[in-house]
Amino acid sequence: MAGPDGTETESAPAGNAHDGETSPRDPRNTPRVPIRIEEAAAAAAMALICLITFANVVVRYLTNASFAFTEEISVFLLVVLTLVGAAAAFARDLNIRVLFFAEMLPARPRRALELIGMALSAVLFMLVAWYGWRFFLDDWKYGTTSPGLGIPQWMYSIWLVVLSAAIVARVAGRLWRVWRRG
Amino acid sequence: MSWLLFGGFLVLLVAGVPLATALGITGALVVLAANLGAMSIASNVYSSLAKYPLLALPVFILAGMIFERAGVAAKLVAFVSALVGPRHGAQAVVAILVCMFLGGISGSGPADAAAVAMVMLPSMTRQGYPPAFSASIIAAAGSTAILIPPSIAFVIFTVLVPQVSVPALFAAGVIPGLLAGLSLLVPSTIFAWKYGWGANDATERRGLLRALKDASWGLAAPIIILGGLRTGAFTPTEAAVVAVFYGFFVGTVVYRTLDVRGLYRVLVDSAEISAVVMLIIACAGIFAHAGSTLGAFDAMAKAMLGVTQEPHLMLAMIMLLLLAAGMMLDAASIFLIFLPILTPIVNAFGWNMTWFAVLMTMNMAIGQFTPPMAVNLLVTTRIAGVGMESTVRWVLWMVVSMLGALALVAAFPQLALWLPERLGY
Repeated sequence: MAGPDGTETESAPAGNAHDGETSPRDPRNTPRVPIRIEEAAAAAAMALICLITFANVVVRYLTNASFAFTEEISVFLLVVLTLVGAAAAFARDLNIRVLFFAEMLPARPRRALELIGMALSAVLFMLVAWYGWRFFLDDWKYGTTSPGLGIPQWMYSIWLVVLSAAIVARVAGRLWRVWRRG
Repeated sequence: MSWLLFGGFLVLLVAGVPLATALGITGALVVLAANLGAMSIASNVYSSLAKYPLLALPVFILAGMIFERAGVAAKLVAFVSALVGPRHGAQAVVAILVCMFLGGISGSGPADAAAVAMVMLPSMTRQGYPPAFSASIIAAAGSTAILIPPSIAFVIFTVLVPQVSVPALFAAGVIPGLLAGLSLLVPSTIFAWKYGWGANDATERRGLLRALKDASWGLAAPIIILGGLRTGAFTPTEAAVVAVFYGFFVGTVVYRTLDVRGLYRVLVDSAEISAVVMLIIACAGIFAHAGSTLGAFDAMAKAMLGVTQEPHLMLAMIMLLLLAAGMMLDAASIFLIFLPILTPIVNAFGWNMTWFAVLMTMNMAIGQFTPPMAVNLLVTTRIAGVGMESTVRWVLWMVVSMLGALALVAAFPQLALWLPERLGY
């Protein structure tokens, strides 16, 4: 299997973590839109989560005041981090999957299974984007505000649509590369 | 519908479809086919992720990685080597202890095993330990990282089972984690004596105090993480963030091993690994919604309860099932898949959920180094440059000894529950 942890350490012996846009499983497999975009966004989300939480701790110690409302932003950043990172993981084929049985198959059926898996991933995130869009429309129409900060809820829900669409695009890109490779 | 949910998922899983997709798509199809509210497909993705307790997961992953990249492992090896001294099998003992200690900083088995393997394999090979043995012992000892707090697996468990708290579960993991790690001393010492490894141990050892001073920055990390949790001053997420900033300080100012580029890389890599795990959590949200609305999980639990009403037999069955699953998948995925089905069973027998969490995780730990699909072994054998089949004659004994530790915790729940009770959780 390839795990989140396995992938982390996969390139460790070579001394460099994922170098740029190459997939450890298939070095020829380079998307045209650089994955650096997702990387930078995911790193920024991670850094912001840490800074907000740390600021919270410091402020609580100095003033006894609580910044609990910032939880809303941290939790939103968690959603962004996941979906953006997932887009990169789909492009690089780093998602956890059981390869044990598939690897016993000859090349052609194995490739067919891989294409099916990617097509299903694309369908799943199309569904998420579509129903996320309907959520966004509801939030927009009824002017829902967030419970913590009181800002319009659609400012959060739109990102589920945008980032799910980004995942669909990444999956489609990889599907195309694997298909063309034959 | 229930058969479509479980059957569809299983078929896709075996076919090598990404686990997140397999969970999400079967869940979504069942939601659409059975009219369970199509909007829930999107809302479950969002609400499964937008949870404050889940914030601890990426931050603990980041903290573990910062310490790993800062080079804490090498300093710990130097210190523990000085502590153990030259003797038969000393290096194997050092490897086990350092793995366990790193487990107290990071919560991920393969990362832990990789860090120690990179540092220790060359010196162990020089002293006559076969690389296949070294890879086995480090892979096995590295697996204790998911038991010894902080543990990513435990964080996920508490997100799924909110009545168990993170500090309580972390405390519950301490003694079983130590037992699991120390159980490995038995086969490694026997082998070392039998084959005379480490008899010509001529490694230069620095003075104990000097090594202690170097390693003290790393040695302090678990105290900071667990101490903050213990006093109740920090939430788990905050404790993890404090560890991140401490690790950042150690890496940039003290050891000077991390530069700006390195820091960026740590942020990217930890974010991506977190995203892979959390995507499964998000998609499992769709699956869980479909399964619980249909009553499929309860039906499955009933079916299992129909097989036997005998608690010991049931527990043994569950352990076997989890052990097999643990060889294929990581702890997070297994919790997401099995907990909805196992929770009703745990409640039916009146088992303690904290104890059960520890038992489940011990199975996952053993699965991490049981061939042929062991993640930890995959990592260490690659570093050692040996095939996984060459480790079988060694690693199976380690599986047996850790199964012994598992049996102890299963037979005496107090091994897990004493410490959290003592600490008043």
